[in-house]
Amino acid sequence: MKTTRREFLGSIAAGAALVAAPSIVRAQGADVIRIGALCPVTGVGGPYGSGMQKMIVAAAEAVNAAGGASGRKIEIVSEDTQTNPQAAVLAAKKLIEVNKVQAVLGTWSSGVSLAVIPLTNDAGIPLMHCSGAPALSVPPANAKGLGFRFQATNDRFGRAFAEICEKEGFKRPATMAFNNASGIGNTEGFTKAWKAKGGEVVESVVYEPNQASYRSELMKVLAANPDVIVTGSYIADTTIILREWFQTGQPVKWVIPGWAANPQLIEALGAEVTEGIISVDSVSNEGAEAFKAYDAAYQKAMSQAGTNNVYAAMTWDMMTVLALAIEAAGTADMAAVVAKLREVGNPDGKQVSTFAEGKEALKAGKINYEGASSVLDFDQHGDVTPDFGAYFIEGGKLNRRYVVQI
Amino acid sequence: MDAYLAAIAIIALIYMLLSLGLTLQYGLTGLINFGHVGFFAIGAYTSALLSLQGLPLALTIPAAAVTAGLAAWPIGLISLRLRDDYFAIVTLGFSETVRLVITSEKWLTNGVQGIPGIPRLFETISVGIGAQLAVMGVILAVTLVAIYAMRRIVASPFGRVIEAIRDNEEALQALGKDPAGFKIQVLILGSALAGIAGAFYAHYITYIVPDQFIPLVTFYVWMAIIIGGVGRVSGAIVGTGLLMLFLEGSRFLRDIVPGVSEVEMASLRIGVVGLLLVLFTIYRPQGLMGDFTKR
Amino acid sequence: MFYAQLAVNGLVQGLVVGLGALALTLVFGIARFPNAATGDTMTFGAYAALTVHKASGSLALGSIAAIGGAAVLALLAYLTVFKRLAGRSVVSLLVASIGIGFMIRAGLGVAFGHQQQVFNVPLSRPIRVAGLAINPLDLQLAAVAAVALAAVFAILYLTPIGRQMRAVADNRDLARVSGIRPERVMTAMWLITGGVSAVGGMMLGIKTIVSPEVGWEMLLPVFAATILGGIGSPVGAVVAGLVLGVAQEVSTPFVGFTYKIALSFVVLLAVLLVRPRGLFGRIEGVR
Repeated sequence: MKTTRREFLGSIAAGAALVAAPSIVRAQGADVIRIGALCPVTGVGGPYGSGMQKMIVAAAEAVNAAGGASGRKIEIVSEDTQTNPQAAVLAAKKLIEVNKVQAVLGTWSSGVSLAVIPLTNDAGIPLMHCSGAPALSVPPANAKGLGFRFQATNDRFGRAFAEICEKEGFKRPATMAFNNASGIGNTEGFTKAWKAKGGEVVESVVYEPNQASYRSELMKVLAANPDVIVTGSYIADTTIILREWFQTGQPVKWVIPGWAANPQLIEALGAEVTEGIISVDSVSNEGAEAFKAYDAAYQKAMSQAGTNNVYAAMTWDMMTVLALAIEAAGTADMAAVVAKLREVGNPDGKQVSTFAEGKEALKAGKINYEGASSVLDFDQHGDVTPDFGAYFIEGGKLNRRYVVQI
Repeated sequence: MDAYLAAIAIIALIYMLLSLGLTLQYGLTGLINFGHVGFFAIGAYTSALLSLQGLPLALTIPAAAVTAGLAAWPIGLISLRLRDDYFAIVTLGFSETVRLVITSEKWLTNGVQGIPGIPRLFETISVGIGAQLAVMGVILAVTLVAIYAMRRIVASPFGRVIEAIRDNEEALQALGKDPAGFKIQVLILGSALAGIAGAFYAHYITYIVPDQFIPLVTFYVWMAIIIGGVGRVSGAIVGTGLLMLFLEGSRFLRDIVPGVSEVEMASLRIGVVGLLLVLFTIYRPQGLMGDFTKR
Repeated sequence: MFYAQLAVNGLVQGLVVGLGALALTLVFGIARFPNAATGDTMTFGAYAALTVHKASGSLALGSIAAIGGAAVLALLAYLTVFKRLAGRSVVSLLVASIGIGFMIRAGLGVAFGHQQQVFNVPLSRPIRVAGLAINPLDLQLAAVAAVALAAVFAILYLTPIGRQMRAVADNRDLARVSGIRPERVMTAMWLITGGVSAVGGMMLGIKTIVSPEVGWEMLLPVFAATILGGIGSPVGAVVAGLVLGVAQEVSTPFVGFTYKIALSFVVLLAVLLVRPRGLFGRIEGVR
């Protein structure tokens, strides 16, 4: 192994050229629309990211199988945000500059969406995300109206929590929040809404991630004798907290966001611990035909039920509704497509559930895509207002008892 | 493609400033600073917060250098009396503490919500490649000044003293020089560079949040200088270039090597970083650009 | 009473930290470098135990697999990397150990994915002892830790190889001239280190969840405990782990839940300033 420095550097440069080559060789065909899938495949969002990304691909396949959108095939280019703003910015730059994508779909954490949206705004292309931060609705982030949110804001989640707590007759709620934007957003949204109803929050704790035990945090909350604990948490910490709570033996009810209180959590903890927990989630439109199509695709790709990943239902809808807007606009010019998004998603047209169905119906007139993740009606900020379901965990199953509208 | 390359170049230049700071501290003086990202964070938050108060960036970026440098001073006073490996652990703990402070002190840093809407450099130039190139030009100029200054330092009596600290501290003490004073100066200078890098980072990404300032950033910089060549300014440059090529190149690698999912790619990326660190320490401790005469 | 309960909460956490610190301090004392792969070796142990537990349903088999697997892993790291770096600067070894840690984490990430996994162990209500709520699972874990510690200390203090290891830790040159074969000592030390890490990792996994990053995130408190206990002092490492675990919990009413994480750093700094050799440290010949 005697290599001089010059040879070594030379071989690295050659390797670099090789790596960079394919993207240059692959020029963009005129009949292809490239869409960027920018999902949190690794990092905190890892449990959801793979499914989200695969559903963008699957929805695009469904579009292509139906002959494409406005006569063009959809091609998906995937990148990983690593749930990290810096990695996401570079990935988005690559998608926009190298792959020339016409839209970026699937960013998840608010930090990532806030970092990426200036880039998509500059490029004049839409960003479709599932982040909760209210800042994403308004300028400066959404100054051009190109940001579309498929998830309820943290604020709306908090309001739904308050509605459910009122309905269930709880009097002494306490909150526990994971120390990040989304965790605190949920519990602060709840506290605001609850106080507006004249209620009082008996204790609130913000905890740090990645700890071996949350027992002291729990002790503090339980010492206030709450009748319900509302959390803004993720699955890993929720698993540990619930296990430690169960071992204390103190009875209390839990209201937990759906991304943490999901079938994975029940599998991890068993039916006994999770009995009676109220999981609150934007209602994946499970009765809808669109959900069936999504669910079939999700089972095929991930060998799991589609209810396991609400965000994957959202990304499925992103691709589908975007393709419908392209079809309706009859062009891949994004300004025209964005102008059509509300027209194909919001009421007043024929209800459709799949791209193929919508493509047919568009020939006759207006359509209203009813999504897998929600009914998918965008307001003036580009936000959807999904209904929220109160799912009670009973015998190891999530049973939806009722739906709240806010 | 151009704007993407410009983006990579800007991030690479920011990492290069970090590498230069570490080269000064570790490469030339032998200080094992595992808390580089802490000073980077201090710089980023200082400049972001001041600029949001309406101060011009021409003032806030130097201010970032000053606060980062000042933060290094007490750390230097406290811990330079310690053994090398203790110093490493103390600095690692320092950077984690910085992250906890910016997480907790909401009144100042907006906590975990992060600071959005940080002004960009040359905001008046309309967005697009022009502004990117202007930003790149400024950071490049600062980097070149830093490189020039470092070359001067290496050649100066100060440079000979700090290299002597690295190579044989006892001998230096015997000659009546006080190594601690020199070490603190070096620590402050290197940290100020990290602070400037942080300021540029904040004004480029326009959104900062505590999660961005994790120890992995420090280790990326370490990887860059170890691969490039410890103790050489050219090593810091080549090493950073290779680091960016590796981090960004792995995106394209996936385009040509089918069947590797993103999850596996993320794991493989960190695995390759590990493998390179091991291979270089065993087979080429002086790095690519290394000096064969020393150590 | 409130503080006593907080202290109890901290004890099991302290044991996990103490086991990690024991592994770290053995390497630090004998091979003379801080092994940053300790955390990832713990993670490896957790995954090994989890896999065997899932397949066989037996925690005992799981822990044997974890201890054996991690011991072999640690020895492999020594034979392939650390041995070649003998005599190099501390930094070279430290950087190499970071590299090895990254590689272990990458391997686990590829093999098991990033989704969290849990040990399916039955949950139980706490028993009340003198007004304190004590968890049977914690008691079992503490017993496991006690057995592991007893075994390690028996090896260190009752067997010839243990005496040789301590001799090398005390004074390497003296040990060499008195005819101790460093090769054998190193092999034994790395095997023990791996096994101890595995027990700590398994306990962490049973108490919390298993993901590729869990061990790495324990590294800072483990480092702090090692230094607090005095580098190279096995008893010190375990005691310091317990002290840190308890201090962290008892301090939370005063500093809050975020800054308690920083406590290990503050303790570390204070110890280094006041008593640079740690609580149990001897005057060292290294510099």
